[in-house]
Amino acid sequence: MDVSIEGRRLSLSNLEKVLYPKTGFTKAQVIDYYMRIAPVVLPHLRDRPLTLKRYPNGVEKPFFYEKNCPSHRPPWVKTATVRGSEKQIDYCLIQDAATLAWAANLADLELHVPLHRWRNADRPDAIVFDLDPGPPADIEQCREVALLLKGMFDTLDLQSFAKASGSKGMQVYLPLNSRVSYEESKPFARAVAEALAAKKPKLVVSNMKKSLRAGKVLVDWSQNDPHKTTVCVYSLRAKERPTVSMPLTWEEVRKGPVSFEAEEALRRVEKRGDLFAPLLSLEQKLPRLH
Amino acid sequence: MARPIWSGSISFGLVSVPVKLFSATSPKEVRFHMLHDKDGARIQQKRVCSADGQEVPWEHIVKGFEISKGRYVTVAREELEAFNPRATKAIEIEDFVDLEQIDPIYYESTYYLVPDRGASKPYALLVEAMKKTGKVGVAKFVLRTKQYLCAVRPLGKALAVSTMLYADEVVSQDELEGLPESKPGERELKMAEQLIGSLESDFDIKKYKDDYREQVLALLERKAEGEEIVAAEPAEAPRGKVVNLMDALQKSLAAAKKGELREAEPDRGEVRRKPHPHHRAAARTARKRKSR
Repeated sequence: MDVSIEGRRLSLSNLEKVLYPKTGFTKAQVIDYYMRIAPVVLPHLRDRPLTLKRYPNGVEKPFFYEKNCPSHRPPWVKTATVRGSEKQIDYCLIQDAATLAWAANLADLELHVPLHRWRNADRPDAIVFDLDPGPPADIEQCREVALLLKGMFDTLDLQSFAKASGSKGMQVYLPLNSRVSYEESKPFARAVAEALAAKKPKLVVSNMKKSLRAGKVLVDWSQNDPHKTTVCVYSLRAKERPTVSMPLTWEEVRKGPVSFEAEEALRRVEKRGDLFAPLLSLEQKLPRLH
Repeated sequence: MARPIWSGSISFGLVSVPVKLFSATSPKEVRFHMLHDKDGARIQQKRVCSADGQEVPWEHIVKGFEISKGRYVTVAREELEAFNPRATKAIEIEDFVDLEQIDPIYYESTYYLVPDRGASKPYALLVEAMKKTGKVGVAKFVLRTKQYLCAVRPLGKALAVSTMLYADEVVSQDELEGLPESKPGERELKMAEQLIGSLESDFDIKKYKDDYREQVLALLERKAEGEEIVAAEPAEAPRGKVVNLMDALQKSLAAAKKGELREAEPDRGEVRRKPHPHHRAAARTARKRKSR
């Protein structure tokens, strides 16, 4: 089916294909979700090298990561060339709704982006803490850890923001937008995670080692790295149901719903706007550690 | 295989095994040459007399030792050669000790010893015996014109020789100021121990990379391909205030007990907003939220 989005022609295919078998959510619904969420998600995606995570045969079938922007892309899809020590990668940039629709049509269910924009590959706009519960720990322990992080940042006069990962955990973000480099943000994130782990050893680990994680929340600081990506806010997740990585108010983090599917996510955004808007503009200085 | 640096024998007691010495390490620093920026020609170094500005040929250069400011005694090469340690061609093990007893501060460079022709059997025997007993040999040997102290130990299938500093070449801690006198408290110590415990892992040298070298090499490669490169603006050092994370965490725990919760207040304190041209839509949403 040929469509025109903001004047750009695009061919959509296999629209009836069910990508989430448990709920019957189709590719058409995935594209529809991304088109309706576009106004709030695009500012967060803009200029960030995108890692595609594609599920051509749905969430129950194999997926693959794609960093290089597919070569059969339409001419209007913008790319960013990033040179590593070994090879060069042309990443897709999702600058507009048409590109977002195109990516959705590739069954790129999840949108993964780094903390920086491509022209300033050394400068993260924010610090992220990925809270990942190791069973039997679950979202309840994540709530507790997220609130402890927020409490710490409140004390330091820094505003922090939480979102549901859309999977099992949560992420806490600390907006920077203040010319901080990864060389500064990563050690800071690590020090925060390690302080938490030292103070609450029964609740928190800061070490990736699987064996240490049972029953605890991993406060993963290592994503504060130019080579790492985190799931973008408002991205769908390739779980049983079409859940969304959704911004949460701190009251919701404390006790409220933290799981939102596509339709609920859209209704919520209509009502409350982009709770993550401060991530785009709030300037905060990183304190130095004593 | 590279050429041996030295050949001789390793001996202890009545046993003597012919061996060759090879470098065990090859540091990979990026090296630059000095060029003239105008025409790209190599810069030459000349030895010039500081009194008359004339170039001095090698045969007129002598060694001088400064005994007081501006006063030198000179020595000729032949005078020094008389003291050169006799090149004995042997690594003579004087003692066998436990490896843990040698602090890493003494180590300099490491070499491999490889058996010379026909010495493979006694060499293997020495390696195996040292492994079994868990001991390392302390020996002296002469390399070029210097007498080295060294530690000989089994490493994989080979013997490794690490040259070592002499005791008076290590700086005494008495010369340092500001080392702590008092012991930390019990509770602090326990917390620090927990922190160390949480970071415990197995040493894996492959985990650590020379990022700087990789970046420099990538830059050079791109330049070699003729690409124009503009230096990235270095990020500013953080000028934020100095904070103590443990104090912040303590307060967070106290607040959590009381059930306090503070939602975002966009205009509080020193926080500033920066309108971003790409994010006008988002900024509008944010303003809307505020006015409610």
